[in-house]
Amino acid sequence: MMIDMQRWPTAKDERWVSGGVAGLDALIDGFRLGDNVVWQVDTLETYRHFAHAFFRQAVRDQRTFIYIRFGAHAPILASQPGMVIESFDPRDGFDVFSAQVNRIITHWGARAFYVFDNLSGLVDWWATDELLASFFRATCPYLFELDTVAYFALERDHHSDEAVRIIRDTTQVLIDSIVLDEALHVRPLKVWQRHSPQMFLPHRVEAEDWIPVMLEAMPETALVHETTAPWVTVYNDLAVGVRDGTLDRASAGRLRRKLTRMLLGTDEKILHLADRFLSLDALLHIRRRVVGTGRIGGKAAGMILARAIVRQQCDDVASAFPLLDEDAFHVGSDVFYAFLVHNDLFRARLSVTRTGVVSHEDYAELERRFLAGTFDAARIDAFAELLDALGDAPYIVRSSSLLEDGFGNAFAGKYRSEFCVNAGTREERVEAFMRAVKLVYASTLNPDALSYRRNRGMLDSDEQMAILVQRVAGQPHGRYFLPSLAGVAFSRNLYAWTDRIDPRAGMIRLVFGLGTRAVNRVSRDYPRMIAVSHPELRPEIGEEVAAYSQRHVDVLDLDAATFATVRLREILKQGPFPELHRYVSIMQEGYLTEPVGRRVQPAADVVLTFNRLLKETDFVRVIGRMLAALEEIYEHPVDTEFTAALTADGAVEVNVLQCRPMWLPGAQARVEVPTDIAPDAICFRTNRFINGGVADPIRYILYVDPRAYARIEDEQYRRTLPRVVGQINQDMRSRGERLLMMGPGRWGSSNPELGIGVGYADIDQVSVLVELAHEEDGHVPEVSYGTHFFQDLVEAEIIYLPVYPSDPDTAFNDAFFHSATNVLPSLYPTLRPYAEVVTLIDVPAERGGCQVQLVADPETRQAVCYMA
Amino acid sequence: MSENLNPFKVAQTQFDEAAERLGLEPAMRTLLRWPRREYSFTIPVKMDDGSSQVFHGYRVQYNDARGPTKGGLRWHPEETIDTVRALAAWMTWKTAVVDIPLGGGKGGVTCDPKKLSEGEKERLARGWVRAVARELGEHRDVPAPDVYTTPQIMAWMMDEFETIVGRSHPAVITGKPLPLGGSQGRNDATARGGVYTVREACAALDIDPGGAYAIQGFGNAGQFAALLHRQVLGGGKLVAVSDTSGGIYQPDGFDPEEIIDYKKKNGKVAGFPGTQPISNEELLELEVNVLYPSALENVITAENAGRIKARISCELANGPTTPEADEILFKNGVHVIPDFLANAGGVTVSYFEQVQGTYNYYWPLEQIHTSLDAHMTRAYQEVRQLQQEMNVHPRLAAYLVSVTRVAEAVKLRGWV
Repeated sequence: MMIDMQRWPTAKDERWVSGGVAGLDALIDGFRLGDNVVWQVDTLETYRHFAHAFFRQAVRDQRTFIYIRFGAHAPILASQPGMVIESFDPRDGFDVFSAQVNRIITHWGARAFYVFDNLSGLVDWWATDELLASFFRATCPYLFELDTVAYFALERDHHSDEAVRIIRDTTQVLIDSIVLDEALHVRPLKVWQRHSPQMFLPHRVEAEDWIPVMLEAMPETALVHETTAPWVTVYNDLAVGVRDGTLDRASAGRLRRKLTRMLLGTDEKILHLADRFLSLDALLHIRRRVVGTGRIGGKAAGMILARAIVRQQCDDVASAFPLLDEDAFHVGSDVFYAFLVHNDLFRARLSVTRTGVVSHEDYAELERRFLAGTFDAARIDAFAELLDALGDAPYIVRSSSLLEDGFGNAFAGKYRSEFCVNAGTREERVEAFMRAVKLVYASTLNPDALSYRRNRGMLDSDEQMAILVQRVAGQPHGRYFLPSLAGVAFSRNLYAWTDRIDPRAGMIRLVFGLGTRAVNRVSRDYPRMIAVSHPELRPEIGEEVAAYSQRHVDVLDLDAATFATVRLREILKQGPFPELHRYVSIMQEGYLTEPVGRRVQPAADVVLTFNRLLKETDFVRVIGRMLAALEEIYEHPVDTEFTAALTADGAVEVNVLQCRPMWLPGAQARVEVPTDIAPDAICFRTNRFINGGVADPIRYILYVDPRAYARIEDEQYRRTLPRVVGQINQDMRSRGERLLMMGPGRWGSSNPELGIGVGYADIDQVSVLVELAHEEDGHVPEVSYGTHFFQDLVEAEIIYLPVYPSDPDTAFNDAFFHSATNVLPSLYPTLRPYAEVVTLIDVPAERGGCQVQLVADPETRQAVCYMA
Repeated sequence: MSENLNPFKVAQTQFDEAAERLGLEPAMRTLLRWPRREYSFTIPVKMDDGSSQVFHGYRVQYNDARGPTKGGLRWHPEETIDTVRALAAWMTWKTAVVDIPLGGGKGGVTCDPKKLSEGEKERLARGWVRAVARELGEHRDVPAPDVYTTPQIMAWMMDEFETIVGRSHPAVITGKPLPLGGSQGRNDATARGGVYTVREACAALDIDPGGAYAIQGFGNAGQFAALLHRQVLGGGKLVAVSDTSGGIYQPDGFDPEEIIDYKKKNGKVAGFPGTQPISNEELLELEVNVLYPSALENVITAENAGRIKARISCELANGPTTPEADEILFKNGVHVIPDFLANAGGVTVSYFEQVQGTYNYYWPLEQIHTSLDAHMTRAYQEVRQLQQEMNVHPRLAAYLVSVTRVAEAVKLRGWV
C-alpha cells in the first residue's frame, strides 16, 4: 500500500518536527521535540541522506543546528551556513568525551537540533560496546529533557544484542535501514508514543514513495548480532589463534598490542613494560579474570607488572616471590560508567567534577545515592561467580583507576579500598561485595580526591574506575585475620638521618598485621623504619625503642565481620602466633631483650621490634633486591606495598601489592627546584637535608636568631624558650596555620647550649623545621638531623633541614631575617620579652601577599625556601 | 662553653659552699675539689663495613676514700670530660649521703649509639673495658648503665672483663640483665627511694600522708612515684600530673593506674577524661602536701619559688631547683628533699647488686625493698637532723652530711 500523501499533516502542534523527508514524516507521523533518533544502517550513505534532509528542514524551520563531529569517517554533513560544527576527539576517553558533549548540549540549550557522527566508530577507540551504550544512555536523556531532536547512526551487525537493547530501550525512535537490490528499505523498530497500523512494516523507498513490503531478508530479529567490538574479537582471535596455532607472528603481535591497550590503557611506558615482562598467556589470564569490560586500572597494572618484574629480575631471591596469579580479579572500568548511567549518577557526577568542589555534606548525600544504586541481574551473577572463585578468604576491594599509579601522577590514597570478611550466605556476601564496589565508586567524588584533581588541573581527565579484588594475604588467628608482616617500601630513603645510611638503597616501613598501619600515618603508634643499607640502625635507643614502636595492629575481625584496630596484646591472647619470636623483643625490668629460641612467654611484655627478623632472615635483602630491580626497570624510584610471611624454616615470602613511581611527600610528580627566583625572594638554599618534600605555602616563619640565642646570659630565660615556642605553636594550631621554624642547633636537645629543648608537642604545627648550624671558632657543630623526635617528624611528614649559613654552597638571606617586622609582640603581647631572640614573621604582610614555599629534592640534594 | 654553665665548675662551687660551712682545711678542700684519677683513652672499633673508627672514652674515679668508686657510663655525642667529672663528684656525694661504702665515679664515650649497629656497640663496649680493665673490679671501680647504655652493654662489658681476668666476676658491673646477676627491684628503685623519704618527711613535719600530691613529669620515675606514693604512705590523693604535652588536674584526685594506662595508649596525659587542663607552671604552684618534680632541670626558679605552696618538694629529677629558689623555698617553709638524696634509691639498689654479685647470691624482692627502706630512711633522718642543727636549707644539709662523711674517711686514711 502506498502512503496516502493526502494525510500529510499540515497543521501540527508546535512539538511536531519534520525530518525533511515527506515519506518518513508520514510513516512515523514526524518527530516530536525531545526525540532521539537512532538510524541503524548498513552504509553511512543512508545516514548521510537522512541527516542532510534533516539539516535542510532545520534551516527552513530556523532551528539551531549542531553537527557533532568525532568520527574517523568522512563527514556526514559538509560545513555550510546554518550549521555549527562541534568537534571532539574520542581518543581522550569516554569520560572526557561524554563530559564535553554534555557541556555542548548545555551550551546550546533547549530545542537545538543535532546530528552526531557514527556512534559505532566509538567502539574502535573504546574497545567495548558497554561504553558505547553508556555514552548513549548518559547523553540521550539530557537531549530529551532539553526538547532537542538528535540523529545518531549505528552500524548494523557491529554490536552485541545487549548494547543495542540498551540503546533501543533508551532512545525514542529507532529506525532500521538496509539496501537490498539497490533499493533502500526502511523499517521503524521503535517510535515512542506513536502508532499506526503500518508503522512497523518495512518500506521500500522509491523517490517520494514509501511502499510497504514483506521482506524475508529483514527479519524481525535483525538487530541481534555478535559484536565486532575489539574487547571480544581481539580476545577471541588471540585465544583461538594461539590454541590452534593459526596466528602468524605479525597478527599475533598486532592483536597482543591491542589486547594490552584494552587492559592496561595507553601509557606508553606501562605498555612497554607489559611487552617486555608479560607473556601472552599472562595477558589472556588477566583478561579472563575481568568482570564486565574495560581496563583494569593503574594500580592493578602496577601490581601485575611489579610481580612479573621481580620474578624475572631477582633470580637469586626468586623463591621469595611465590607465583600469585590466582589471588586477584578485576571489575572492568566500563562497569563504573554503566553503573553511573544505570543509576542516573552520571550527570550528578559531571556537575560535581565540573566545579571540582563538593562539601562533606553533599558528598555524604552522593555516597548515599551511590549505595542506593543497583547493578543489573547479569552483572550481579558475574559478581557472584567472582566470589565463588575467590572462595571463603577475606578479600579487599581496591580502587584501581586509570589515573592511579600512572607514571605522570601518583594519585595515591585518594580513593577508597574496602576490606570484606567474606562471610554469610552467598546473597549476603554478594551484597557486601557490591556495597564495597559502590563505596569505591563513590570515592571518586570525595572532597579530597576532587580538590586534588582540581589543584592539578586533572578534573577533565578520563578517570575510569576499575576495581581490583584481591584475597587478603594472611592467616586466621583466633577471631582475627591478619598477615604476619606488611608495609611499604621505597627504593629511595628520604629519611637518611645519618650519613652512614645510603639513601639509594631504600627504606621500609614495616608493621605487624595489615599494612594500613604503615600506609596511613597514625600518630603515637609507629611502624619499624628500616634503612635497607643499615637495617639495624634506628634513631631511638633504650626505652625510646619501646615508645616508638607499633602497639596497635590492623586486622580483620572475623567475628564482627569488620576491619578493626586492636592492641597487640589482644592478638597474642588468641594463642601462639607463628614466628612471633622473630618479630618481638621482651621488655623486662625496663630494658629490651630478644626471646631465646622460639618461645615467647604468653605473659611477657612484648614490643614489636622485628629485631630477629632483620638479623636472622633474608627479609631486608629480599626487599632491597626487589626495590633495586623495580627502580632499574621503571627507570624511576618506586614506592611499593607488600605483605610478607615467614615459613617455618625462616624463609621469607613476599607478596607485592602495589608498585608506582615514587614522588616526594607533598608532590605527586617530579619536583623541579625552581632556578629563576629573585635573589631577595630566597630565604635560604641548602644542600643538606634528610627528608625531601614539597611544603604547602606557609604564612608564618618563627626565627630564633642563633647569635642572639648564644648571647643570652640569663639561663632561666633560655630555658623558658621551649615553652615560648610551644605557646606560639599551640596558638597556630587553633588558627589552622602551619609554620616554618628556624633555630640554632639541635631542636629538642636537653642541653640548652646545643639547641632549644622543645618536645614534639611544641612543634607539631610546623611543616618545615630548620636547624641552623653557625660556624663558631672554625668549628661547625654536628647537626642532629632531628633525631630527638625523628619518628614523629616522619609520621607527620615534617621536612627537617639543617642549614649551614657559613657553607659556601648555602645561601642564607640574613638581611631578610634581620629586617623583617617582628609580629611577636603584637600577636602575643605577653611574649614581648622574648622578641629580641624570637622573631615571628608574617610573610604575606612583609612581602606583598607572598607566602613561603619550600622544595627539597633529594635526587639533586638541593632545597630552596623562597617567597612567592 | 661559658664558665657558669660548665657543670664541673658548678659542682665545685657547690662543694666550696659546703667546705666553707664545715671549715675544711685547704688540703682537704683541694683533694675533694678534684678527681683523684682520670682516664682518657681512645677506643678503635672495626665498623661493620670494614672501616675503623676511633672513639674517645673516659673514666673518672672522683674519690674512693669510702670504698670502690661507683658510677654510670654515658654514651653520648655531646659527652665531655667536664660533664663526666661533675657527675663523678655528684656520685661521690650521693653514695655518701645514703651511707653506702662506695666512692663516686663516672665514665663515658663520645659517640652516637643511634648510629651504631648492635655489633659495633658490642665491639665498642668490649673496647672500653679493655682500655680500663686494670682499673676496674668490685674492689676498685664498678660501672653501671647511664645515658644511652643498657643492661645488654653491661653484659658485654662484664663478659669482656671476665675474659681478661680469667674468672667469674659478676660484681665488676651493675645494671646487668637479670639472668646475668642483675638485681630485682631496680626498675622502680629511684621512685621508691624518693617515696620512702617523703614518708619520713611527713612523719617528721606532721603532714597528713593522705593529703594531695602532684607530679611534674610522667616518665619512668614519675609514674612509679604516682603508684608508690599511695602504697608506701598508705594513702594520698593524686590531684595533678603533667608531661611535655601539658598537665591535668582533678581536685578530687584520680587513679594513678588509669592515668598510666591512658599515657601508654595516648602518649600523653593531656585529655584524660574528667580532668581539667593545667600548665606545667600552674601544677608546680598547686596547694598540695607533696610535689614531685620529676622531669626537667631548673623548673623552680627565683621567679616562681615564692608561689610554690607544696609542703614537701621531693626532687626525683636532677636539679629541678635553682640555688636562689632553694633559699626562697627554705624561707617559705617548703621542705625540699634534695635530688641527690631523693633519687639515691637507684644507686643504692646498684650497690645491692654489687653485694649480691660479690657473694654470688641473690636477694628476693622483699629484701631489696626492706634494705632500701632502711638506707633511705636513715639517710633522710640524718640529713634532717643536721638541717635542724645548723638551720640551713636541706640541700646544703645533705651536702654537709656527704662531705663530712667523705672527709672523715680521708682523715682516717691519713691522706690529709
